[in-house]
Amino acid sequence: MASTVREDKEGKWSSDLVLDLYSGLLKEIWEIVSALIGEAILALLFLSAIRKIGEKHPFLISLKVSEEGIVLDRLKEEGQNLSPLEIHRGFQSLINHLFQLFSALAEGVINKELFPKVFPKVKEADRIISQR
Amino acid sequence: MTSDTKEIIESAGTNLPNLFDFSSFGVFWKEGLFLYLYQEESCPPSFTKSVVENMVKVLSILGEEPIDVSRVTLRVEKRKLRPNQMMNPQATLKSHLTLPLPVEGEIIGCISLNSDQPNAFDAQDLQFFSVIGYQMTATLKHFQRFSSIKDMAIYDTLTNVHNRRYFDERIGAETQKSFLSGTPLSLVMVDIDYFKNVNDTYGHTEGDKVLCKIASLFKNSVRKDDTVARYGGEEFVLILPGAKLEVTSMIAERIRRLVETTLFEVGQTQIHLTISLGISNLPSHRARSEEELIKMADHALYNAKRGGRNRVCIFMGYPAE
Repeated sequence: MASTVREDKEGKWSSDLVLDLYSGLLKEIWEIVSALIGEAILALLFLSAIRKIGEKHPFLISLKVSEEGIVLDRLKEEGQNLSPLEIHRGFQSLINHLFQLFSALAEGVINKELFPKVFPKVKEADRIISQR
Repeated sequence: MTSDTKEIIESAGTNLPNLFDFSSFGVFWKEGLFLYLYQEESCPPSFTKSVVENMVKVLSILGEEPIDVSRVTLRVEKRKLRPNQMMNPQATLKSHLTLPLPVEGEIIGCISLNSDQPNAFDAQDLQFFSVIGYQMTATLKHFQRFSSIKDMAIYDTLTNVHNRRYFDERIGAETQKSFLSGTPLSLVMVDIDYFKNVNDTYGHTEGDKVLCKIASLFKNSVRKDDTVARYGGEEFVLILPGAKLEVTSMIAERIRRLVETTLFEVGQTQIHLTISLGISNLPSHRARSEEELIKMADHALYNAKRGGRNRVCIFMGYPAE
């Protein structure tokens, strides 16, 4: 019983950590890319990616995007009931899809700016997941 | 694509070579799948083809639905963008920047800078190009809003045909043209028979639907240069420039038969309706003004009603006093 409680608590903490990590990452992506292509276009791309990836990872639909930016409050609330692995996979797919969209628009120009920031964070998420 | 839009694109095309080194600048307009390319004079067909394919691919991805490249209408403007360089005759697209044109949350098209050189553009180019894209979008939005306001002033908001105000202006202009040039002009006044019963029996909401359907039938039955306008509640009027009396009679009869044979959905049921039509014509009826022409068509319509409705009547003169 005690070990089950401990495992649940660790799982919950991992979910929080992964959520926080990806929330920060999305905000960073927003900051970098909006400086290159503007908020209106970026919001459209985010919404398109959420629509597409949300089919497989419905929790992402809670992500609110507008020209003002990304709002993660509701997603953080709803993500609390998900396993760290689910969160990790969902966000990974979302970010991969965004990269594909950026690449379609401007080939490597946008992704070149993003890789140095994104890659270490994704690795960090991998590490958190594998620690369980 | 309107002429205002074309001007904006041409202006961008003229100014962009001062800011970027590129082989072609493209604007892909989602409505009508119109692709406008402003490109270096020596661009070979292989390059143009790869640019078109890429822009279609990007807009398909952004719009989340595939676009058939064979349906695209392409217009190419060639300019000497690189006076001292000729492009390789086998050149293809090697790098590009393509940005969507968002208007009120909807993508109306995309713009693209294209080059036959790899890695021709960097982050700074992208930043600058996106500013140009936003400016272009803002200007296009302005023209779109202006055009919407213009539309509201001349279209009947229910039936989407022209309104009375537009008709009044149009008939004046066409009558003058007919007087000056001698070209024929026909006017057809149309009234839906027993329409009051439809409203009384099924309600005004269903009645409005019927009006919309009938207006749509009229729009699809006339020629390109003809005008369909809502004259009053259930009364419509058609202006047929250049149409002789015989042709007008044929068009009117065709419309009458079309309405007669159409089933109109009202509530849970379907009903048949008929219309009465009155025709006047220049020069046949020798009206001396547009008011007289309208009065003649109206009188012909009155005769159609008196004669039993569901018929076409041509103006035959006023009864002797």
